[in-house]
Amino acid sequence: MADLVTTIKQTLKDVELVLGWVRDPATGVAAPARFHTEEEAEAAVFDSTCVHNLAVHLPRLKGRRLGIVAKGCDARSVVELIIEHEAEREDLKVIGVGCGSILDVKKIWRRFGYGVEIDDRGDSLELGGERGPREDFLARKCHGCLEADPDIYDLFVGESAGGPAGEISGGREEPHPLSAMLEDLAPAERRAFWREQFSRCIRCYACREVCPMCFCRDICIMQTQVPHWAGGEVNARESEMIQHIRVSHLAGRCTGCGECERACPVGIPLMLLMDEQNRAIEDMFGYRAGDSLRARPPMQTFSIEKDLWGDEE
Amino acid sequence: MRIGVFICECGTNIAATVMTQKVADAALALRDVYHSESIQYTCSDPGQRTVMAAVQKHNLDRVVIAACSPRMHETTFRRTVAKAGVNPFMMEMVNIREHCSWIHDDTDEATEKAIDLMAMGVAKVREEVPLFTSKVPVTSEVLVIGGGVAGIQAALDIADAGIPVTLVEREPTLGGNMARLDKTFPTLDCSSCILTPRMVEVKHNQDIRLIVNAEVEAVRGYIGNFEADIRKKATCVDEEKCTGCYICVEKCPSKAPDEFNAGVGESKAISIPLPQAVPLVASLRKEHCRRYIKGKCGVCEKVCPADAIDYEQEDRIFTDKFGAIVVATGYELFDWKTAYPNLGGGHYPDVITAMQYERMLSASGPTEGHIRRPSDGAEPRNIVFISCVGSRDESIGRPFCCNVGCMYLAKQAILTKEHIPDSQSYIFYMDMRAVGKDYEQFYRRAQRDAGAIYLRGRVGKIYPLDGKLMVMGADTLSGQQLEVAADLVVLATGFTASDGAAELAQRLNIPYDQFDFLSESHPKLRPVETTTGGIFLAGTCQGPKDIPDTVAQASAAAAKVIGLVSRDEMETSPMVAEVNHMRCIGCWKCIEVCPYKAIEKQKLRDGRQVAIIIESLCQGCGICNVACPPSVVSLRGYTDNQLISEVVEVLR
Amino acid sequence: MNGETDRADGGAVNATDADRADLKLVAFLCNWCSYAGADMAGTSRMLQPSQVRIIRLPCTGRMDPLLVLKAFQEGADGVLVSGCHPGDCHYNDGNYYARRRLELLKRMLAVRGIEPERFQYTWVSASEGARWADVVQAFTTDIESLGRLGATVAGGGGG
Repeated sequence: MADLVTTIKQTLKDVELVLGWVRDPATGVAAPARFHTEEEAEAAVFDSTCVHNLAVHLPRLKGRRLGIVAKGCDARSVVELIIEHEAEREDLKVIGVGCGSILDVKKIWRRFGYGVEIDDRGDSLELGGERGPREDFLARKCHGCLEADPDIYDLFVGESAGGPAGEISGGREEPHPLSAMLEDLAPAERRAFWREQFSRCIRCYACREVCPMCFCRDICIMQTQVPHWAGGEVNARESEMIQHIRVSHLAGRCTGCGECERACPVGIPLMLLMDEQNRAIEDMFGYRAGDSLRARPPMQTFSIEKDLWGDEE
Repeated sequence: MRIGVFICECGTNIAATVMTQKVADAALALRDVYHSESIQYTCSDPGQRTVMAAVQKHNLDRVVIAACSPRMHETTFRRTVAKAGVNPFMMEMVNIREHCSWIHDDTDEATEKAIDLMAMGVAKVREEVPLFTSKVPVTSEVLVIGGGVAGIQAALDIADAGIPVTLVEREPTLGGNMARLDKTFPTLDCSSCILTPRMVEVKHNQDIRLIVNAEVEAVRGYIGNFEADIRKKATCVDEEKCTGCYICVEKCPSKAPDEFNAGVGESKAISIPLPQAVPLVASLRKEHCRRYIKGKCGVCEKVCPADAIDYEQEDRIFTDKFGAIVVATGYELFDWKTAYPNLGGGHYPDVITAMQYERMLSASGPTEGHIRRPSDGAEPRNIVFISCVGSRDESIGRPFCCNVGCMYLAKQAILTKEHIPDSQSYIFYMDMRAVGKDYEQFYRRAQRDAGAIYLRGRVGKIYPLDGKLMVMGADTLSGQQLEVAADLVVLATGFTASDGAAELAQRLNIPYDQFDFLSESHPKLRPVETTTGGIFLAGTCQGPKDIPDTVAQASAAAAKVIGLVSRDEMETSPMVAEVNHMRCIGCWKCIEVCPYKAIEKQKLRDGRQVAIIIESLCQGCGICNVACPPSVVSLRGYTDNQLISEVVEVLR
Repeated sequence: MNGETDRADGGAVNATDADRADLKLVAFLCNWCSYAGADMAGTSRMLQPSQVRIIRLPCTGRMDPLLVLKAFQEGADGVLVSGCHPGDCHYNDGNYYARRRLELLKRMLAVRGIEPERFQYTWVSASEGARWADVVQAFTTDIESLGRLGATVAGGGGG
C-alpha cells in the first residue's frame, strides 16, 4: 500500500512515532507495529487482517506527539479517549483508513489450520486453496457496521465508505450471537450460564490489556488488596467479580470495539455484557461512547430534568 | 490490633428485646476482640467511665459501641474514647436501638440481628486508621453582598460585634427596594423614615466599608478563608470629591429612564437616585450620556464645583479575604407585560404596577405624593387593584405566592383613601393571605375604614372605553361576571429572583431553585445557611418575604456569621476524601463530579499531574471515590475496604 | 405471607420458614435522609421484618455499584439502597449521580440473572419513618417470594 506508506512517512515529519500494522512473516497476517523512521514505515500495511484496535496504546503514550492508523471503529475509541482526557487531540495525527470489514482470523485458523494462507478477494476468500464465503469469517464487530469511515481523521487513505461510522452504521449493535439465547433464559438459568462461562476464566487479564478504555492498567482494582474487591483465587466466583469491575468501569466508555472478546483465550462472550450495557446506556442517556468529541461522559454528569428513574411515587 | 466491644442496654430500651450479654459473648469470639461487656447506660457518666477503664485495662486501640443511633451519640463516644487515649475516629457505633430493639418484638431475631450488626462494626473498625482533625485559621472580615434592608441589617449586626464588614451594593445607593416604598404595612410607618437612619448608620460605622456600584465577580476558597474579587464599576464621578449638590443633575442635558422611580417620571444621565441616597453622590450612566452617544458634551464637568467628574475613570477590581459571606441580593418585580396580554400587555398607560403606584404615593417621589393618571395627569376616582399578577399562576410557570401582595394592596387602598377621600378602590384577589402579626386587622381596616371593595376572582380582560379602562372579571363568591370602569389599574406584580442571582450562586457554588431563588441548607433547621460552609442567606434572595421576616433572617445570618468568625481557627472534619498520589492516573473524573470544586490538579516533582483534595473544601460526600476507576481517591471513614468488610462480614 | 400457616407444611411454598429467617438482606442508607428516616421509624416503634442489615453511607453518591455486586457475590438475597429524595441531597448532587449509577446497575443485574426485585433503590427522607417501615416490609416480602438467591445455582459460591 504505497499510499499508506507515503502518508505515514509524511506524518512522521510531524510526530514522534506512528502506530500501524506490518505483516507478520510467520503467519502472513497483520501485527501491530510502531514506526519511528521512514525506513520502518516502508513495511506498513493495511488489509482485512488488521483487526487490532491500536487506540489501546494511546493512554500510555499520552503527552507525546503520535500518529495512529485508525479504522472507523478504532476512531471511536480515539474520540472517547480524548473526551476522557486520556489523549490530547492536538498531539494526535489520525490517519483514517477506508475499511472494507475485517476478518476473524482465529476462526479461519481454527477451521483451516494455523497460519493458513488467506487471500481476501473482497467478495470471497481463498483459504489455503479452498474457497469460502467471506461473510462466514467476518469479525464479529463488523456485522452491522458496513464499511465505515472514521469520524475524526487528519489524513485519509484508501477508499471511503461514503461517510463516518456513526452515520452509516446506525445499527452498529447488531445483537450479539448469544443475545437471543440469553434473552430466553430464566434468571436462575442466566446465573448458571454466566457461572459456567466464568468457570473457564484463567485470569490472564487479556480482556483488560487490549481494551483501549481500561486505562488504569497496572493499578487496576481487579488485583489489589486496597481495595479488596476480588480475591486472588482462580475460580468462577472471583472471575465474575473482576468482570463486574470491568463492566462497571466501562459504563459510558465502551465503544463496542470487541477487542476483549476477541482476545479472550477461553472464549467467554464478554461482548454480550458490554453490548447489553451499551444498549442500556443509549436507552437511558441517549449516549454512545465515541460519537462526539463534544460529549460529556454520562456517568460524569446528570440531568435533573431527564433522570426520572426511581420516582415511582 | 485490640478491639473492645461495648453493648449498651439503654435501661430496658435495648435490653428488653436484645439479649445484650449474648451479643457481648458473641463479640469475644471475633478475631481481634479482647474485651466485651454489656453496660446499663453507656452514655451516662458511669457508663463512659466503664468504657474508659476497660480501654486502659485491656490496652484497647479500637472500640465498637453498640447502642443507639450514631446520629444521637457518635460525638459523645468519640470524646469518651479520646479521653481514654484512643483515636476518636477508631470508634465505630452500631445502632441496635432505633434499627433493632425498637422495631422488633422477637427476642431471638433481634438478638441475632444485633450480633450481626455488632460484627459488622467490628469488621469496619478493623479497617479504620487514626484520623486527625486539622485547624484552619479564620479570616475575621465578612462580606455582605447586597445593600437592601437585609444587607444593611446583617452588616450593622455584624459590625456591632466589632467585626469588620465589606458591604457591596450593585446600585449607586443603599436601600434596595425598601427605599422605594412609601409606607409599610401594617403600621403605616414611613419606609424612608425607618430605613434612612439605618443607611446612614452603615455609612458612619467604623467597621463597615461600603462599596456601591460594585459586584462580586469571583469567589475562591472556603469557609473561614474566602477570597473575593469585587469589581467597582466606573461612574465618571469621584466619590471622594462629590458632595451631592445636584448641580450636575440639574444642568445635565441628557434624559434617561428613572429606574429608581419604576419609570414614573424621568431622570438624567448623571443622577442621584434619591435625595436620601447613601452615599450621596452622583453617578453617570454612559449609555444615556450625550458625551458618550454623540461624542460631545462636558456640561457636568464644567458645572461641578467639587471637580469630581472624571470621564477617564475605569473599573477597579478589589481582591480581599473574608471569613464568611452573607448573600442578600434581594428581588426584582416580575415583568408582567409579555405574560399578560389580557391585562393590556403594557399598551395602556393607565395600567401601572404597584411599585409605580408606590412611587406616586411617596411625598418625595416624582409626583410629590399626588396620584395622577399617567395618560392625562388627572386624579383618578375609581382605582382597580389586581393581585397575583405573576404569582400563583401555574399557566405561566410561576406557582409560588409573593407573600406580600395581599398586604401591600390593602395598604395602598388605605393610602388611596387618605390621598383622595372620594375615591373608590376595588381589589380583585384570589385568596386573602394575612398571616403576620396584626395583618388580619389591617386587611379588615382596608375594607371597613377605607371602604375598599374586595372581589374574589381573577381578571379576564382589560379594555379601554370612553377614557376609562373596563376591567372584566369573575366574582367567584357570587358567581357573577363583573365589569368595573376604572380610571387607574394597579397590578400587584410578583417577585422574581434578582437579575444575575443564578450566576452569582454559581460563582459562590451554592444551590438555587428553579426560579433562581437561592436555596437554604434545610428549610426548617438550617434556614439561613447554605450547603456551602461559611455562606449564609438573608432576605428575599432566598424567596419572597416581607420586611419583618427579611430583617429577622438577616439578623439570624449575622448571628451565625459572628459565631463563625469570632473564632481564630476552626476544626475541619478529617472524614474527607484523600488521594493516593502514587497511584493517581490523572483521569480527572473526581474533579468533574465534585460538587464543591474541592479537587485540583497538582504537578508532582516527577512531572506527573495528580489530583489533590482541598480538605477544607471537601464535605465528604464520596462521589469522587466511586468515580475514580482505580479507587485511589478514597473517602476516609468510608473507604472501599471498610464498606467491603461490612458486606463480607454480614453475609459470612 | 403468613409464617404461622406455612410452618406446618415446610417446603410447600418456594421459601420455607427457615429459608425466610435465613434471607440475607443488605441495605445501604445515606446518613442524612434515609438513615435518619430509619431512626425515626425506630423512635416511633414501627415493627419491621428483621432480616435487613443496614450499612451507613455519608451519601448515596458514595454508593459504589460494586458494593451491590459484591453483596450478591457474598450471598445476599436482596440489596436495597435508599437516599435523599432527588433535589434534597445534603451534598447537592450525590443522589443524582447515584440514580444514574444504580439504575444502570439494575438493568445490568437482570443480564446477569439477578431478578430486578432483588435490587431496589428508593428515596426516604428523614421525616418519613413510616415510609421506611413500609419500604422494609415491601422489600422483604418481595425477596421472600423470590426465595434464596444462591439456592438455584449449584454450589452457591466458589468454583
